[in-house]
Amino acid sequence: MLSYLVRRIPSAVGVLFAASFLIFLMLRLIPGDPVDALAGQDATQESRDAIRADLGLDKPFWSQYVSWLGGLFRLDLGQSYRIGGDVGDLLRNGALNTVVLTVAALLIALVLALVTSLVAVIRDSRWLNAALNAVNTIGLALPTFASGLLLVLVFAVVFPLLPSGGTPPEGYLARPDISVQYLLLPAFCLALPVWAGLSRFLTEALRSQLRQPYITTARAAGVSRTRLVVRHALPNALPSAVTVLGIQVGTLLGGAVLVEQIFTWPGLGSLIELAISGRDYPVVQVLLLLSVAVFVVTQLLTDVLQAWLDPRIRIGGAR
Amino acid sequence: MTDPVGSTEETGTRDVLTIEGLAISFAQPRPAVNDISVSIRQGEVLALVGESGSGKSMTARAVLGLLPPGARASGSIRFHDQELLGLSERELSQVRGRRIAMVFQEPQTALNPVRTIGWQLREVLRAHGSISRRDARARALALLEQVEIPEPERRIDHYPHQLSGGQKQRVVLALALANEPELLLADEPTTALDVTVQAEILTLLRRIRENTGTSILLITHNMGVVAEVADRVVVLRQGDVVESGGTAELFRAPEHAYTRQLLDSVLTLPEAGDYVHSVPGPEAPAEHPALSYESVSVAYGSSRRGRAFPAVTQVSLDLAPGEVLGLVGESGSGKTTLGRLAAGLVPLAGGTVRLDGEDLFAASAARRRELGRDLAFVHQDPEASLDPRMSVGASIREPLDIHRVGTPAERAARVAELLEAVRLPAEVARRRPRELSGGQRQRIAMARALVLKPRLMIADEPTSALDVSVQADVLALFRDLQKEFGFACVFISHDLAVVNSVADRVAVLRHGEVVESGPVAQVFGTPSHPYTQRLLAAVPVPDPSRRTTEQVVEANRRRAG
Amino acid sequence: MTTSRQLTRPKALAGLGLVGFVLLLGLVGPLLAPYGPLEQIEGANLVGPSPSHWLGTDEVNRDVLSRTLSGIRLDLLVVFVAVPVGAAIGVLTGLLTAWWNVADVLTQRIFDVVLAFPTLIFAIALSAFIGPGVWTIAIVIVALEIPVFGRLVRTSVRTVREMPYVEAAQVAGAGPLWVLRRHVLPNSLEPLTVQLAVSMSVAVFIEAAMSFLGIGVQAPNPSLGSLIKDGTTLMYDAPFLALGPLALVLVLVLGLLLISQSLSEAHRD
Repeated sequence: MLSYLVRRIPSAVGVLFAASFLIFLMLRLIPGDPVDALAGQDATQESRDAIRADLGLDKPFWSQYVSWLGGLFRLDLGQSYRIGGDVGDLLRNGALNTVVLTVAALLIALVLALVTSLVAVIRDSRWLNAALNAVNTIGLALPTFASGLLLVLVFAVVFPLLPSGGTPPEGYLARPDISVQYLLLPAFCLALPVWAGLSRFLTEALRSQLRQPYITTARAAGVSRTRLVVRHALPNALPSAVTVLGIQVGTLLGGAVLVEQIFTWPGLGSLIELAISGRDYPVVQVLLLLSVAVFVVTQLLTDVLQAWLDPRIRIGGAR
Repeated sequence: MTDPVGSTEETGTRDVLTIEGLAISFAQPRPAVNDISVSIRQGEVLALVGESGSGKSMTARAVLGLLPPGARASGSIRFHDQELLGLSERELSQVRGRRIAMVFQEPQTALNPVRTIGWQLREVLRAHGSISRRDARARALALLEQVEIPEPERRIDHYPHQLSGGQKQRVVLALALANEPELLLADEPTTALDVTVQAEILTLLRRIRENTGTSILLITHNMGVVAEVADRVVVLRQGDVVESGGTAELFRAPEHAYTRQLLDSVLTLPEAGDYVHSVPGPEAPAEHPALSYESVSVAYGSSRRGRAFPAVTQVSLDLAPGEVLGLVGESGSGKTTLGRLAAGLVPLAGGTVRLDGEDLFAASAARRRELGRDLAFVHQDPEASLDPRMSVGASIREPLDIHRVGTPAERAARVAELLEAVRLPAEVARRRPRELSGGQRQRIAMARALVLKPRLMIADEPTSALDVSVQADVLALFRDLQKEFGFACVFISHDLAVVNSVADRVAVLRHGEVVESGPVAQVFGTPSHPYTQRLLAAVPVPDPSRRTTEQVVEANRRRAG
Repeated sequence: MTTSRQLTRPKALAGLGLVGFVLLLGLVGPLLAPYGPLEQIEGANLVGPSPSHWLGTDEVNRDVLSRTLSGIRLDLLVVFVAVPVGAAIGVLTGLLTAWWNVADVLTQRIFDVVLAFPTLIFAIALSAFIGPGVWTIAIVIVALEIPVFGRLVRTSVRTVREMPYVEAAQVAGAGPLWVLRRHVLPNSLEPLTVQLAVSMSVAVFIEAAMSFLGIGVQAPNPSLGSLIKDGTTLMYDAPFLALGPLALVLVLVLGLLLISQSLSEAHRD
């Protein structure tokens, strides 16, 4: 099991390095003087020189890259010129909000997907299937910003039940009930496409498991349908569902940018949007690399989780 | 409606299950059941025999309400006095497993891959009443012991993939026996197993019947298996009962033409002593053998990671031009690997493979392609051996297209010629593979193999996926084609009788090594190696008066112990 | 079952109808539009839907219907040009590299890196470096689809090359190119068409999201995404502004999803 994890680490690290190089290279390929792009048109000569010295642009390309990477390892993420301040501080401020939002969305999506697909498969009624399928397809077809706007319109404007945006003013732990109110709309909005994709996949995976011979064996022995689905088919469908969930984390990260924008949620998604519109490249670089890192680590974890859930991989093929 | 078959002859024994006028229909066009009436007595083994499409499996599934979606059953299925047709899912689950249990054909997929053996047994026990964890475990251990699984204490915590095919089928049997059913439905329970394992499972089935008095409805296509274990036989054909009766009488004097045809298409092995030391076979003094393996070895798995295991070790065999060499052995014996090696489809680990004297693996890629013109390969699986997107004609023509032989008109003529040679109408050329039956597809595969007039054919279990009567036709066709075209052939099969009917010489393989080789009549008639003897003895003989497998299993046990 | 037969199932027909409707609007719409997309109409400031302005007018007196009809074209470019171009490049790369181990490992690693960027964040990244605009959207889509299709084709190649009919052809002397052209490509078409429909619907999302974030189409040119963004800034005053373009995005994506779903359902049967 451990060796399985160890075998996968080199390629994950390789992808991270390649991505960091790509991101760094792109920055150097911007037409014109990067200092112009970094400092803006109306910067003073002093600030331009400061940036140039800080980036070490007089040094050769490779040494620039190495020193940037070295900075990352020392957690020295550089300075933001447009938004202002240390990039590390900016990240820390936004990270908590984004983590809370995405984890909440992930949990909502996971629970909803499990419940809907299990109910659909156990009940197996024509009307329920059609209804769930319709909701599902709408969930997939509705762009995140459209569903976000609809949610705001319905639950914050027409029926003012929930706040239309922002994070809980007193922090998350002071008043959990208020935190939930603030979190509900953005997290549900972010969860919607993930739920739709996952529940669709899981429903189909469960149905295809139910067609397997081992299910017939259990059925012929008198096992009830609910038990067949929950205790026999589900454990077999889970490993591949975990993989799909891992890929959906990418949807979640991209969606967070939109959701944070719509619900004025001050997280990393808003930060990257702000940094890009302000051409704040040091911030953009680090955020891009961070998103790749999160995705790569997620893939690694889902690989391991999948292997752990499947005894054929966990215990190996030996008789 | 016909009378329930043979329920009135003997007195004193009660009918456990009575099927009357069963008909099953489907929404989509597929083989259905028209009118089947069968009854099974207490403690009896009744065989339901037929080829694919006879309705034998559907009949068994209908008993437990396990028909595929869209199927409609009518008629009557009575278990003692209870009508089973039309019961709700909830009522059926009271019957399933507790009163009637079922065993399926494919042990590889019949067990839940992510649950332990013990979990699955517990689950089945719990499906019919609560039972404590400890009691369930004790009962599971007893069941594993009953189906004769070695080291049950250890095996109970194993997952299915850690067991061999035969052990898996024993576990499936244990699941079926868990709640002490009165009737066991066994759907082709030994078809997917090697013959020595089949013999063991059949013995186990007989022992279960003797010890528990369970009635067994055995579904099979194999007349040998019927002769080994059945008390009575019902022959089915395309959804109807053709004939029924006691096993001994039915084998001695089959009344219906179809029963006779079924019995006739069973291939037999030479009797011990049949072999007379005669002149060696057709060994024309050729310059080179058509194919020679010179102490070849093949390894599977990556040798870099040090996990390679040998599939074939140090095998040397020669094949004269125009000769048919049979390769026989059980699964994992390396017979298929050896065939694929001659076609250049697996990498060689050691030794030399020569085609017509030329070193195959030393040849350049271009030269290998040239050598391919003299070589043809027929695969086991008729489903997958033809490209589903190409017309049959295009598939047969493909080798001509590859080597740019002749004009388009000449190629079309050659295709027509070959279709005639494999006795199919010319219009088949325009059809798609999915419109054809398995037997037809295997004929097409043979036509494609012959289109370049090869000097060597590798045939990998070409008939094992076919029904017996179809198999007999295809084998007859093969013999004719071989005579007509004069190619040499490596014929791979797990079925000794099939090899006996087509091969000149035979090599018996075991664990990647040749244990014995020689003329077919000699190896099968007077086998010298104990493994060959065991293999031959395990083959069920289609003669109820000579039930042999029990002795074989006993002999094995004594040897092992 | 062939692709053409799958497309005559009711679900697929509904999908084709929806997509065809949007396609038709985009092609002939600008000819029917009552005003030019940038034309400012005297005295029509934020007028609600009315017979003269079906979808109303925006804050700088432009007719939203005319802008919407003109904005569809950009989405059509993205859906029917950029996605197929990316798909074609991806399929070719996948086909030609999957057979040879060294080339395969190399391209798959590159694909790994590209696919490690979450889609929208990848789009943001590219636009950060090549600047916002129509071409950025097109390049983002092409760059995204190459690895998606490359991966898919690679899986097909790996599966089909193990099939007995391919082995038979190889034994008869067929080389890799023969096998790829005659067997692999025809047998990969079904999953590819499913993915094509899925990718097209994702492309509509990406255009809309990029324009929404201001890194796609730049004012004053319209696209469905930029029109929705314009509408949302005035959501409380003139909620009608975003409705038309939003409905079209929904129709287009729904149509493409229905097509992909019915293709994959038929594929499974």
